[in-house]
Amino acid sequence: MTTDIKTEIDFLPETDSSAALLEVRDLHVEFRTRDGVAHAVNGARFRLQSGQTLAILGESGCGKSVTAQAIMGILDTPPGFVTKGEVLYRGVDLLKLSEDERRRVRANKIAMIFQDALSALNPVFTVGFQLGEVFRKHLGMSRADAKKRAIELLDMVRIPAAAQRVNNYPHQFSGGMRQRVMIAMALALDPEVLIADEPTTALDVTVQAQIMKLLAELQAERNMGLILITHDMGVVADVADWISVMYAGRVVEEAPVHDIYARPAHPYTKALLESIPRLDLKGQQLNVIKGLPPNLTAIPSGCAFHPRCRYARDACRVDPPPPLYETGSGTTAACHFWKEVRGGE
Amino acid sequence: MSDVVLETKDLVKHFPITRGIVFQKKIGAVRAVDGVTLQLHRGETLGVVGESGCGKSTLAKLLVGLEKPTSGSIVVRGTDIARLKGNEMRRARRHIQMVLQDPYTSLNPRMTVGDIIGEPYEIHPEVAPRGERRRRVQELLDLVGLNPDHINRYPHQFSGGQRQRIGIARALALRPEIIVCDEPVSALDVSIQAQVMNLLENLQNELGLSYIFIAHDLSVVRHISDRVAVMYLGKVVEIGDDTQIYEKPTHPYTQALLSAVPVPDPTLRGQRDEIVLEGDVPSPANPPSGCRFRTRCWKAQEICAEKEPLLVERERSAHPSACHFAEVRDVVHAVE
Repeated sequence: MTTDIKTEIDFLPETDSSAALLEVRDLHVEFRTRDGVAHAVNGARFRLQSGQTLAILGESGCGKSVTAQAIMGILDTPPGFVTKGEVLYRGVDLLKLSEDERRRVRANKIAMIFQDALSALNPVFTVGFQLGEVFRKHLGMSRADAKKRAIELLDMVRIPAAAQRVNNYPHQFSGGMRQRVMIAMALALDPEVLIADEPTTALDVTVQAQIMKLLAELQAERNMGLILITHDMGVVADVADWISVMYAGRVVEEAPVHDIYARPAHPYTKALLESIPRLDLKGQQLNVIKGLPPNLTAIPSGCAFHPRCRYARDACRVDPPPPLYETGSGTTAACHFWKEVRGGE
Repeated sequence: MSDVVLETKDLVKHFPITRGIVFQKKIGAVRAVDGVTLQLHRGETLGVVGESGCGKSTLAKLLVGLEKPTSGSIVVRGTDIARLKGNEMRRARRHIQMVLQDPYTSLNPRMTVGDIIGEPYEIHPEVAPRGERRRRVQELLDLVGLNPDHINRYPHQFSGGQRQRIGIARALALRPEIIVCDEPVSALDVSIQAQVMNLLENLQNELGLSYIFIAHDLSVVRHISDRVAVMYLGKVVEIGDDTQIYEKPTHPYTQALLSAVPVPDPTLRGQRDEIVLEGDVPSPANPPSGCRFRTRCWKAQEICAEKEPLLVERERSAHPSACHFAEVRDVVHAVE
């Protein structure tokens, strides 16, 4: 792909190229609704380096998508408010930037793809027009030039007959192809960070495999940092380098992918792993996690997982919630009894 | 186990594609289900897997009588329910019930849980006399692990997993022999899926039910099924017990499908046989000639376009496989 026009990206003067590519510190997000304040994110944190794949793993309502929206600055405000925390891109706190600056960070530096590609694309414009929009708005290209670039992008994500397909509307594409278009759009300006929010959840497994392979290839080509938000422990095991497990808006465990699966240190991670059936095993007993994920307007005191936890004791039920204990070099787990959890029953 | 409770023969469902408003002219047909022959034994779970558009949900609707088959038969208790009408149909349906995919849209928000679970008794009053219904419903709630005192609550007061339990209780109300589960856990969170799957298994053991378990998640299907049928574009391409399908698949489509499923174990990364299919599923309105998978198959040769492979046991396939070149290939475990 020809990248003759490089965007003017030095509009963030204080960037420190030795700092982590993206770091989130103690992020808090709440939704002020009629039924009360929902604490969607309560101190999320993680760090991403170039070329790394970080998976944020959790069930619906654990705050993983809201975290992504807060990083991108696309949170619905109101009702959503970032109440505390920092989102550092190369050392610059994005939350302190003006809306205009943030808009330039989006797409140029940090881009995002969404779960449902059909509703993320506008049905009344051609795919080519929507892809070209990035170039017209961010680079001020002419329509004709933007379309040429759109064709290159479709080629890049391996859509056959790109020159013809560029004039098609989203409904003329299959689910997998729409997600490819989304990826093309996100990568148009060569971002350094790509946030993929459940990119394959709506797709069939064979198409999922295609898309994950494409993402991995594009990531390797560009040495891009990838944040993969998902609930699928299988996909994570295949692609992630590092995993953050979230529960009720908090990161409860952070570790490299091999450690998480081999020696989970948080009871929630452990229980999740024991509750999913595996393709290559038969007759395994599925361990059920009792109860339900907590209501975010009334998160249990102490450790939010304690009502569902088989290790829970009195210490778990009282505030403050367990801190992220260091469990190894760089790995952490928010459980008072992580040694016991990791050591077995 | 040899007791057959349900049998389909050459089951076909074509949806017509029409043109014109007043005089609708038939210009083609979507071959959603195109010749499916299955047997379900007592107490058994038959898993049906395939990607979206392969006809698995249409098959489910045919089995419970929500769609009329274009041709073929569905034999339950010795009678072909595809031919029945009116009262006979209503009585026959009692023995085969369904659990739907989405527990949010499949429960009427204006009815109480008691009314929802008790509604089958309005249609089949002979099952439970009026005075006994409330008690029956409470028993059912208890059976599926819900609080019997919640009988007067509305669906919105329950979580997704609890709603799916309500859906299961409704399917059990008439004490059917067969339950068709159409993607019963795919709308649920991971930690809730195991709860519902365990419930389905316990109910099967207690009540001697037979399940047709339709899902796109191959790991879930393996966990719950005794036998598995793999569908592609309206046809069963491979059928066998779970070891045959998962450990020794012989149809290229099954192999590709299994290879695409990620296994939650990072030590297997890059160790498994990887098959990434090109392209998408062809349109069921205009399926390829001969073998329907040939357009995406790496083994395809001329014979595949000319002659449709039958679902039979073959030289290199101990179980029925619809491929001229059927051959065992392990794609689930690590390979050297």
